[in-house]
Amino acid sequence: MNNTIEVENLTKYYGDLLAVDHISFEVRQGEVFGFLGPNGAGKTTTQRMLTTLLEPTAGRIVIQGHDLAHDAYPVKRRMGLVPEESNVYTELTAWGNLMFTARLYRVPRQQREQRARELLETFGLWEKRDVKVEDFSKGMRRRLSIAMAIIHKPALLFLDEPTPGLDAQSARAIRDLIRQMQAEGTTIFLTTHQIEEASLLCDRVAIINHGQIAAIDTPEQLKRASERVQSVEVALAPSGTAPGEALAALPGVTTQVKMGDKWRLYTDDPSALLPQVIDYARSEELRVISLSTLGPSLEDVFLEITGQQVGTVRHEAQANDQRGKRGGRR
Amino acid sequence: MKSTTTMNGGWIARLQDEIAQAWTVAVKDVKVYYLTPPMIMFGLVLPFFLFFSFSVKREIGVEVGMARLLALTTFFTASSAGPVIIPLERRMGTYDRLLAAPMSLLTLLLGKTLVGAFFATAVSMVPLGVGVLVLGVTVANVAMLLIGLVLASLAFAAFGLIFASIPTHSVGSIMMPSTLVRWPLMFISGIFVPLEEMAPWARALAHLSPLTYVQDLMNHAVLGAGALNPWLDLALLPLLLVIFLMPAAWLHHRSRVLGY
Repeated sequence: MNNTIEVENLTKYYGDLLAVDHISFEVRQGEVFGFLGPNGAGKTTTQRMLTTLLEPTAGRIVIQGHDLAHDAYPVKRRMGLVPEESNVYTELTAWGNLMFTARLYRVPRQQREQRARELLETFGLWEKRDVKVEDFSKGMRRRLSIAMAIIHKPALLFLDEPTPGLDAQSARAIRDLIRQMQAEGTTIFLTTHQIEEASLLCDRVAIINHGQIAAIDTPEQLKRASERVQSVEVALAPSGTAPGEALAALPGVTTQVKMGDKWRLYTDDPSALLPQVIDYARSEELRVISLSTLGPSLEDVFLEITGQQVGTVRHEAQANDQRGKRGGRR
Repeated sequence: MKSTTTMNGGWIARLQDEIAQAWTVAVKDVKVYYLTPPMIMFGLVLPFFLFFSFSVKREIGVEVGMARLLALTTFFTASSAGPVIIPLERRMGTYDRLLAAPMSLLTLLLGKTLVGAFFATAVSMVPLGVGVLVLGVTVANVAMLLIGLVLASLAFAAFGLIFASIPTHSVGSIMMPSTLVRWPLMFISGIFVPLEEMAPWARALAHLSPLTYVQDLMNHAVLGAGALNPWLDLALLPLLLVIFLMPAAWLHHRSRVLGY
C-alpha cells in the first residue's frame, strides 16, 4: 500500500523546549489515521508542521511524494484542514464563506456553485445559506468549517478534534462523513482526545506522549498488546451499597473503579477473579445484577502508554475529594 | 476522490493563480473588515484628528491643507490595515486558513497590501471630494494625484505589514510599536513644516521619512509645485513598496519558523 504521509525524525523546538522529539511514522493512502495524546504531548505541533503552518526544526515530511520543505504547493492544493476552532468568517454568509474558499483553491467557476450547494445540502445548511455566520450555532459553524475544508475535494484531510462540544446529531453526521470520504479514497489524519471516537473510526492510531510516538498500530492490535489491563465488571444489588474496599481486597484485583452503578475490577487473571466475586456477593447476601469480563479498551491502552495507571486518575480525584470534605490539608 | 481544483501547469498559470488568490484575499478583507471599530479608529478617525490637531489656527490655504490631509490619510489608513486585520484573523483562526491555502506567503501579503491600499484610497477620496466639490480646490495634475495616491497607499500598506508580523492576537499590541515608529516619521517629514523652511539638518532627516516624498508629490499634484523632483517622488513609491514587502515577508516567515 502506498504511503500518503511519510515523516522522518520530525523535531520541533520552541526555544529550549522540545515539543516534538524525532518522531517517524507513515500514513497509508486511504486510511483514517488517529493521532492521540494527552494535552501538551505534541499533537497540534505535529499537525501544524504537516499542514505547513509551522516549520520543523529538523526532520523530513513527504506528502504524496512531495518534500514539504521544498515543494509544498502541490500538496496544499490537495489538502484540506479543519482546525480545532471553527475558523469561519462570521461577517460573511455561509455561501460567502464557501465561495471565498472555492476561489482560494481555484475551483473552476462552473463547479463552485454546484459543489457549494451539494455541501450545504449535505450538512443541512442550505436553508441558512444567506444567513451571516455570526448567527450560527457552534454545531452549524463546525459543519460549515468542514464544508469549507472539502470544497476542493482534497485527497488528504486533516481533522483536529472534529466533534467535541457538538450535539449527538452533528457528531454523528461528521463521523458518517469521515467514513464516506474514506470510502471515496480520501486519506484522513484525525487528531483527537476522544479515544472512543478514534476506536470507532481509525484504521490505525499513533499515541504521542512527551513529544515521542509511544505506540502505533491498529486499535485492536494495541488492545491485544495490552492484555495486562483486563477487568471484571460487576453490578450488585441492592444498589447504594458501596463494597469498593471489599472488592479491592479480593485476591488478584489491582485497581477498582466505580463506573455508574457498576464496579470495574482490574486484574491480570479475570477467570480466577470471577468465582471470587460471586462468593463475595453470596457471603454478603448481595444479588449479582450483571457480571462480565472485559478486554482492555483503547482508553485503557492510552492511559497505560501515557504513564497513567488505569483507574489512578479517578482514584486520586476521589481521594482528593474525600480529603477536601474532611478539611484535611497537609 | 479526484481533486476539483484546476491543475494548471507552468509558471504562467501559477502566476495567474497567485494574482487571482491575492485579489480574492483582498476582496474578502474589504467585505469583512471595512466597518470594524479598530479600522474606523486607526484608519479613518486618526488621520483627520491629526490633521486638525496640527493645522487649525495656522492659517494655511485650503489647497495646502488638502494636500497635507491626502498624504496623512494614505499614510495612516494604509499602514493601519495590516496591523488591524492580521491580529483579528489570528484571533479567529482564519489566518491559518490563509496560510494553509495553496499560495505563497508573498501572495498572501500582496493581498493584504491591496486591501490596505483600497481602504486608504477610498478614505482619501473624502478630503479630495470635499476639497474639490465643496471648497472649490483646483487640482494642478489629476493623473499625478491619482497615481500618487494609489502608489503611496500600496507602499504604506506594505509598511504596515512589517508591524503586523508581531505575533499577537491583539490589535493594541501592534498599534503601540507601530505608533512609536509612525509618529516620529510623520514629525520629521515635511508634512507640517515645509521642506523649504527646515534647517539643513532637519531637511536631511526629513529625507529618511517616506511620508516626505508623498507629501511633496501631493504638493506637486495639487499646488503644482514642490521641493523635490516629482518624478523622483513617483519613482520612489514602487521602490518603497518592494523595500517594505521584503522585511514583512521575512518577518512573517520567521513567525512560522518560531511557531507563533
